[in-house]
Formats: sequence, structure tokens, C-alpha cells
Amino acid sequence: MQCDSVVDDNFEEVCPEKVIKFKPPLYKQRYQFVRDLVGRHEPKKVADLGCGDTELLRLLKIYPCIQLLVGVDIDEEKLQSNGHHLSPFLGEFVKPRDLDLTVTLYHGSVVERDSRLLGFDLITCIELIEHLDSDHLARFPEVVFGYLSPAMIVISTPNSEFNPLFPIVTLRDADHKFEWNRMEFQTWALQVANRYNYSVEFTGVGKPPAGAEHVGFCTQIGVFWRNSGGAPGPCVSQQHDQHVYKAVYTVSYPSLQQERVLKFELVSEVLLQVERLRLWHLRTLREQKRGAGTVPKEPSVAPSLMLDLFTEAEKARIENSPKPFCEGSRFFVPLQRLLAYPRLHRLPVDEERMRSLLADSVCLSSDGSAVKVDLRNTWDWEPDDY
Amino acid sequence: MSGRARVRARGMARSPGALAGECTQASPSVPRMLMPSDLSDSEASFSGGMEGTSRISQNCDKSVSSGDVGSTFVEKVVKVRRDYVDLGVCTRAKLAHVRDSKTGSSGIPVKLATNLFNLDLPQDWQLYQYHVTYIPDLASRRLRIALLYNHSRLSDHAKAFDGTILFLSQKLEEKVTELSTETQRGETVKMTVTLTRELPSSSPMCIQVFNIIFKKILKKLSMYQIGRNFYKPSEPVEIPQHKLSLWPGFAVSVSHFERKLLFVADVSYKVLRNETVLEFMTDLCYKIGTSCFIQTCEQQLIGLIVLTRYNNKTYRIDDIDWSVKPTCTFQRRDGSEITYVDYYKQQYNITLSDLNQPVLVSLLKSRRNDNTEPKIVHLMPELCFLTGLAGQVTSDFQLMKAVAEEIRLSPLGRQQRLARLVDDIQRNKDARFELETWGLHFGSQMSLTGRVVPSEKILMQDHVCQPMSAADWSKDIRTCKILSVQSLNKWLIVCSNRAENVIDGFLSCLRRVGSSMGFNVGYPKIIKVQENVAAFLRAIQQHVDLDVQLVMCILPSNQNYYDCIKKYLSSDCPVPSQCVLSRTLNKQGMMMSIATKIALQMSCKLGGELWAVEIPLKSLMVAGIDVCKDKFSKQMVVVGFVASLNPRITRWFSRCILQRTTTDIADCLKVFMTGALKEWYKHNHDFPARIIVYRDGVGDGQLKAVIEYEVPQLLSSVAESGSKISSRLSVIVVRKKCLPRFFTEMDRTVQNAPLGTVVDSEATRPEWYDFYLISQAAYRGTVRPTHYNVIYDDNGLKPDHMQRLTFKLCHLYYNWQGLISIPAPCQYAHKLTYLVAQSIHKEPNLELASYLYYL
Repeated sequence: MQCDSVVDDNFEEVCPEKVIKFKPPLYKQRYQFVRDLVGRHEPKKVADLGCGDTELLRLLKIYPCIQLLVGVDIDEEKLQSNGHHLSPFLGEFVKPRDLDLTVTLYHGSVVERDSRLLGFDLITCIELIEHLDSDHLARFPEVVFGYLSPAMIVISTPNSEFNPLFPIVTLRDADHKFEWNRMEFQTWALQVANRYNYSVEFTGVGKPPAGAEHVGFCTQIGVFWRNSGGAPGPCVSQQHDQHVYKAVYTVSYPSLQQERVLKFELVSEVLLQVERLRLWHLRTLREQKRGAGTVPKEPSVAPSLMLDLFTEAEKARIENSPKPFCEGSRFFVPLQRLLAYPRLHRLPVDEERMRSLLADSVCLSSDGSAVKVDLRNTWDWEPDDY
Repeated sequence: MSGRARVRARGMARSPGALAGECTQASPSVPRMLMPSDLSDSEASFSGGMEGTSRISQNCDKSVSSGDVGSTFVEKVVKVRRDYVDLGVCTRAKLAHVRDSKTGSSGIPVKLATNLFNLDLPQDWQLYQYHVTYIPDLASRRLRIALLYNHSRLSDHAKAFDGTILFLSQKLEEKVTELSTETQRGETVKMTVTLTRELPSSSPMCIQVFNIIFKKILKKLSMYQIGRNFYKPSEPVEIPQHKLSLWPGFAVSVSHFERKLLFVADVSYKVLRNETVLEFMTDLCYKIGTSCFIQTCEQQLIGLIVLTRYNNKTYRIDDIDWSVKPTCTFQRRDGSEITYVDYYKQQYNITLSDLNQPVLVSLLKSRRNDNTEPKIVHLMPELCFLTGLAGQVTSDFQLMKAVAEEIRLSPLGRQQRLARLVDDIQRNKDARFELETWGLHFGSQMSLTGRVVPSEKILMQDHVCQPMSAADWSKDIRTCKILSVQSLNKWLIVCSNRAENVIDGFLSCLRRVGSSMGFNVGYPKIIKVQENVAAFLRAIQQHVDLDVQLVMCILPSNQNYYDCIKKYLSSDCPVPSQCVLSRTLNKQGMMMSIATKIALQMSCKLGGELWAVEIPLKSLMVAGIDVCKDKFSKQMVVVGFVASLNPRITRWFSRCILQRTTTDIADCLKVFMTGALKEWYKHNHDFPARIIVYRDGVGDGQLKAVIEYEVPQLLSSVAESGSKISSRLSVIVVRKKCLPRFFTEMDRTVQNAPLGTVVDSEATRPEWYDFYLISQAAYRGTVRPTHYNVIYDDNGLKPDHMQRLTFKLCHLYYNWQGLISIPAPCQYAHKLTYLVAQSIHKEPNLELASYLYYL
């Protein structure tokens, strides 16, 4: 079965002596937490600090709301070798996104200020702070909360109260500088939130096993919101451009916001719809010829395949638009009619724009209000042929 | 079968000259058609069947394989790429007469530019293969790789590593190196790196490593691997009116050619259909209605390659499961059940809109050589895009023309693209670094010397003609009589009532051109019928008797008629038949050329001989073999065998069989060859002294099977033929798809190499007795040479003679008055198998075996 997209082992979880197994694995639960958050709040600009092997960014790039996705890490080698995972899927060149997306990876430290990270809607620091030494940890709030000051910040870190459930009692990772209990984390978080005018909610992922509920989640998470009343940090425009990070990788996705892409998509959709209407019209004609009594039904469709599922609103919109018509051997579909179909309706074009985009690839009626095609073409299948 | 496909079966609608019916050729290798060289540029990506399921990724794929012998470790045996397998088949060593030299000398030397680039290595360059073990053992390949790559000891080494086998271009000091490292959790892991082999740069393993290096490099240039080639989807050529995007890219390969390591690159395009499988199904349903929807849908989709929206993989559609819906559940790897709808939502944030769509079934072949059952993958039609031009679309003339316009590249354009690629590689910091650390140096484009063999004279009945251009001598022989043909006295025309008015004009034209070429066409019996297939068939059944020499059908359209008529007249009631579209006969002003074409085809079908070339060998039989997959049942392979029946090579014996098999290896050759020898004996009262067999349709990796399985069949039938002196046999594998291209440089521009250019050095392979021959003309695109590999040779002809003879045979395809890209017997075999695979689906009647009834 097709379910192998996320098979990446996270080192923490592959450890053979591990006794407590989370399902799904803990790192996936953390990522899922962020994904749910993105799904609910639809941020446009998202940055992941300490993005490591870019795993989280890979999961986030599929969200249509995100238009700028940034990863920052101090391990340049890791960014180098993982950048290409963030390039568009081939399918995204075929059916492009609605909105632009740029993904950039920066090499740099989270305690350095870079103005390119200003004005974000969401900044995530997943299992990051425990890797900071005390000096960096002290500077961290000032940079992320004070300077970058995004609308939302997510910080996750191990909950040391959970550690006794593991056979190894030491820190969970050799590079961890500390692991906090819930009280320590929440005290720090509340302090920071107060200072920079954020509010914070605490939660976590990785439920403790039955009987040990008192230890709390394995990973504790703080979700910070910038308070709307307070001063939203220094204004972006007043900032001098401060580029201290090194851009290691950057990629732009094709999207319908790009004229070339939009045109291609529009022409394809128009031709597809016109062809369907033409075939439907031909069928109607045939039915009429066969027996005047039988009124053609909606194309009764192959077993199990439903065609054009329209909502009532969509149906009404289509019904109310000008109908396709025939003049001699030509078949015309008004542009307004085409725009009523959901697949064209979703495109960011009006009739005027549509006309100009179609102009050099599709044949239009003399007044430019409809697409014109031959009613019959030589390859049409005539079921009564045989 | 659809109308379009049928059109394709007859190869009409391809020619820009717009001849229709049977008067033009079906073959892609015939010049001047839309298909030749230019379109075939991208053949590999066009033909869906070629590439199976493959992974597209921009991952650094570090997998390497061990094909060499004698490793002290039990290593994971990884599949060696199929075309490298063929390179390991050393046939030349057994051919004494070419062991020292396989180059010819006749003809005029010509300097040729190529698409081959020198790859220089230091003199003493070697590849060091190590085996790596971990204590404690680590199951995760990714972890193994990460630990090794991050180790400081190896950081400045160029390396390729698949988790077990490590390749380095510099030797480590010790034979066994112990490395120690820590995981993120602080555990100590001991890695033992043991030298297992030192490989010279010519070893197949090295070649594979070189190709992995180039794969990495091309990915650094933002290219995506699809199948074996690399494409740049960010710079598409778009044809919106046909819902197509073309992604430009390259087919590349590194390997050892005759004398050194070379990098070959050829321009390739990937065709993407801007259409999901679900949209395709819906459209199809609109078009044909529900009655035969499932059947037609399966016919058109199975075998196509799709690209999924949510990852970079391509899959081959092996089946469609109409009973599974997106709302059904499947078992995830962790054992939990989940519906497809939920799965795609959770995993990829994709909402399926059609909950009634069926699922596409794809069988994933294991990448490793363990005989595990193929994994079954279910795919949602809504999330799959169609790739490639296969099946029905290829018969859409307008579409194919639009594609050809876009991807046809002149020799100059092609060379410029290559220059840009090389430039990109050399400018890219990462790419350059990769090459340098391995000690590779990207050198200059190679030029070499080929030879242009003398042009051939065309022998007509009472005239010897030296054509102005060997690409097309139709004008040169317009007034000449063909060699021989019987008179056509008793024949039928079956036509619909509507076509009646065109018949008189056409008939008088046909008789006129017939008589000028020496073909007497009598008046036919004309039968008018209703315009439906059943009426046509009934008329044929009623009126065809033993005396009827030929049946001509004027078809009102291309639906169904062709297949039914051909099936009946090729197999049930064997009479030569000629189908013509009535539309074709309505073309004013082209009647003479249409009638000429039809007259030539008709005379061939009656056993006529059109022209000949001088054949210096006195008792030579040539034969061609080709295979073709049956259109309906993909497990059936049609094997065609066509052998000459006279020393002049103007009469042919054609056999064809449907064989149930998964490979394209023929197992009926003994029967065919024995039959051909008997027939030859009947005509010549002796057996041929020499037999030369051209085998087309050999896929990558099948060379060994052809040598071990097909050659012995041919040998044993020759040995058992009963002749006193056994005929001497040669077998030549013919390949139209090969990467090298040859150009002539003139006045600072590049042009196609001239017709008759032979290349038998530098671009050839040291282990083979092989050569390239350019025998087709490309007026607008770039010509593709044909590669000939002599795998068995008792005849011991000099390379010069073998090359000349091959060139001569390219003149003898009676469906085209000019040179073609492959020897005529191969083209006949191709035409025959195509007819059977597309229209007849059963063995044609043996009574027709000595006529070219399938032209």
C-alpha cells in the first residue's frame, strides 16, 4: 500500500533500547501539532528555527496558505544536503499551486538578528532551546520575541519529568544542554511572554503511559500569541536591512499568480470544458435524432465514476449563465458560461482577463464573448457506426 | 479499437504530404514522415512501456552495485543497470576476423562532430571498494550513511556509499580502518571499513559509480530524474491547446567507448499531459458513453506511466480496480486501518473530490534482486497525471505535429543545447567540486573520422538509375518500369454507395500509372454496399473466391473497417487486400501521386518486385526479425520473421507468430528459419551459401539472451537443413535508439552527417564488432544513426563488406522509394508484426507468406 512517504527515522526514536514506544512516533506527533496549527490559522509566512534536516519544512510546504517558508540552522552541511527535498514535486509543475511559494534555507544562529525574518506569522522552534547554552538561551527571547516578533511562536522542549520512564536517566540527547520540568519551562515562558507582550498556552505531545499520568507529556509545548494591544515590536519599515544569515538554498514554486502558469492552466481548463460541452451537445443531437420522445438524461455514467459533482450553488450559477449554442457547423461556449464552472471559477480571472489570456491559443467568436470550435471533428466516435 | 489507433496502424495522417490510406508508410523510421529522427529524440520518454516504475528524486542516490566477481563478503547484490549488462557481453573476442581490427576502409573519409565528451582521469586512477560494518549493527540505512558521512576521517574524500559498500577514489592508509563515532543519543558506534577491491577505471562497477556521480551533478543543476533521463520542469515548453507540457532535458551516460571513457549527452523531452487520470476517464466517458467504458478505459490506460501529485515518483498503470473506492480502507505499515480519503488528507493535506473513482493498480518491482513478490500500490486517478505520448494520443495528427514542431532540433540547435549543459556543469560550484574530488576532468567534445560509403544504383527493369538523392528516388524512377509483376485481371472493389463517384476517376488514374510502370491493371468488379462494417464484410465473403487476386476496399471512415477486413482477408480467407480511405481519393490534384503509391503497393501484394540493388554475393539470404507487443493482451508478443527468397533480394518470405511471454526473446526462430530455407530451396534448387540475420527489437539487457537463446535456434535449423555444405550464418543486432549523434561541421555551422556515413571507431565499443550507419535523411531535425552489433559471424565478411551490404539492404523497402533507417527485412518484419499486433491478433494465413501482403 502507498504509505511510505514518511519513513524517515529520527535518531531519537531508532534507539534500540527504547522501551516506551509512541504511536505515531514522538517526532511525528510534534510535527503533526505544528501542521494542525498551520491548518487552523493559515499563516502566510512561516519560519522554522533549528530546522535541521528540513523534515518539518517538507511537511509544511504542502499547505496552500503558506507563501514564504524559511528554515534556519547552524549546520550548513545539513542544509546543503537537504535543500533539494524542498524543491517542488514534479506534479506541482503540472498542476501548480494557487499562490506563490518561496522556500529559503539560511545558515545562521537563532541568536543573531536578520531582518529577512521580520514580519512572520508563525515561527516554530521545535526541540531547539535545550540545545542552546545559557548565554544563547538568554539572548534567544530578545531576538525571537523582541526583534522578530512574529504573530505566533511555537516552542517545544523535552519534559524532564518524563525521563525516569526511560531506561537511560541522563539527558535524551548528547547535545542537550538542559532538560526542564514543566515548572521550569512554564516559568521561563511566562516571563518571556510578559516581557514581550505575548500570551502563552501550554500543552504537549507524547502521552505518558497508563499509571504515570502525573509526569505529563513527553514533549512540552508552549504556543505564544502576540497580544494585539501591545506594541508589535519595532516596525518592519524602520529596520535597516540586516542580512547576517547566509542563504544556502532557495526555490520558488510555480503558481497561478504567475501569468505564464495561469495562462496555461486557463487554456487547458477552457478547452477541457468546451470539449465536454461539445460532446454532450453532440450526444443530445443524436438522441433527438433517434427518438423525438426520449429526452436526454444527464450523461449516465460509467459504473462508479461520478462526473462533475456540483453543489446546488454551483448548479445555479451554471444554469444562470448564457448557454452554449450552435451556428451552422460551429459550436460556441460563452466565456461567462465557462467561468461558471467550478474549475474555472476558482481561477483569479474575470471575463476581460480571460479573453486576453485566451486570445492567441483559442479561437473566439467575432465579438470575443464565446469560444468557438467545430461541432464535429473527424475523430468523433459514432456509436451507431457499427 | 479506436479510429485513431487504426489510423496509426496504417500510418496515415502522419505524413505532412497528407497522403492517406495505405499509400504512406507506417514506419517511424521512414524519412520525411513526421516521426523520424526528430520525434524519436525523445523516444525513451515517449514510449510509456520503456521505463516501468521508477523513482524520481533529487535525493543523492548512493546506491551502488556489485556486479564483479569474487568478493570476500556476502554483499547485497544490487541490480546492475540493464544497459551495462549488455556491455559485459564480449562477442568480439569470439570473432577471429575482427579481433585485431573491425574498421573498414572504403568510402570517403569525413570529419564528424559528436555529442561525446572526453572524461579524463589521471593515469593511475583507481576506485577503491570498501565494505563497512557497524557495531552495534544498525538497521537504518539512513543512519549508517549519516554516521559515515559525518566522520571527520572521511570528510575530504570523494565517496559513494549505499550503507554497506563504500567507494573512494583515494585509498585509505590501512586495509582495515576502524572508526568510532557517536550517535545523537551519545551511543558509541564502531564502524569497520575494509578494503575489498581495487577497480580499474574500465571496470563496469566504475562505470556505474561515474553515472551516479553525474546523476548527482545533474540534480545540482535543478534537474529531476525521470526514468533514466534528467529534466528541467521549471523551463517547460507549453502547448496549451493540446494540454501538453514538454520538459526539456537530457539523456546522459558515461561509459567506456572504443578507446576511452566518454560522456554522452543527447537532448530529450518529457511529455506531460496536463490532465489527471480521472479527467481522462471522465472525458472518455463523455466521448464513448457507458456501454464499453470499462473495457476501453483499461485498453487506453493500462501500460501508461503516471506521475503522482504528492511525491516525485512515477508509476506504471498495471491494472484498474473498479471495486476499490477512496472510502475503502487499507492497512498502513504500522498495522492500522485507514481510508484512502483520510490517508491523503492526513499525509498530504489533499482532499479527494470524487469518492467514486476506482483505483489504479501498480506493481512495484523490487529494486533489489531478491525474488520478492512485487508490491502492489493503489493510486487515486484524481492524483495521477499522465505522462508520455502513448496510446491514442499519438494518432492525433495535430497534436503530434505540434509536439514535433516544438521538439525538433536542428543539428546546430542540438549542439548548442549540449554546449549549454557542459557550460552549466562547469560553472556550477558544487558540480565542479564533485568532479574534482573524484579526480574527473570534463574534457572537450570529441570529433572523429567516419566514412561515407558510395551511393547505390537502383536497378529497374530496363534502366539503371543513379538517384539524385538516395533519400527519395521517386522522381528518378517515375518513367521506369518495375522489375516484374503479374497482371491484375480479377479483382474487386468494395465501396459504399457514396464513394461511387470517385471510383471512375481513380481507376483510370490507377490504370494509367500502372501501365507506365509495367503493371497491367484490368477492370475490377465493383460492389456497392451500405455504409457499415457488416455490409462490407458480407460483400467480401460473398464475392471473394479462389480466383480473386486482390480486394480493394474504399472505406468511408477509419472506424472498425480496417481491422475487420484485414483480419478476415489475412487469416480466414487469405487474399491480398488494399484499403483506401474515400477521403484520400477526394484529394484533387494529388490523384497521380496517390495512384502511384497505391499501384506500387498493390504490385507488391501480388508478389511483384519493384527494384533491386547490386548484390555482389551470389548466394545470400538475408532475414529480419522484429517483435511487437499485442495491442490487447500485453502478455502476447508478436514475432515477425522476413527472409529473402532469391539472390537478388527482391522476393520475401514472411512469417509471424503470437507468443505468450514476458520477454521479447523469440522461441520460434527454428521453425521460421527452416521454413525460409525450404522455400529458398524451392525457388533456387539449392541452399543459400550465406545467411545474414538482422535482429531488431532487442531491449536493454537482452543481448545475452539473444546470443544464448536465439542464435542457437538459427544455427540448428541451418545445420538440419539437409544441405551438403552448411550455410554460414551471421547475426546482427540492430538498434535505432542509441545515444551518439554525428554531425559535419561546415562554415561554422553543423549539419547532419551525409547519407551512407559509417562510424566504426571511437564511438563504438571495444568488446563488440559494431558500427553505426546513417541511412536515413532528416530534412528538418537531427538524424539518428542506427547501431549495428554483429554478435555472431561465420561468414567472416570484411567489415567493409558487412557495412556496405547493410547499407544496400536499407534501399530495399518497397513501401518507400528511398533509403530507410534500418535494413529492409527488419522494416518488413516490423510492418508485419505491427499489423498483427494492432489489427489481426492471430497468425496470418501461410498462403500469403510469399507476398508482401502487409504493406
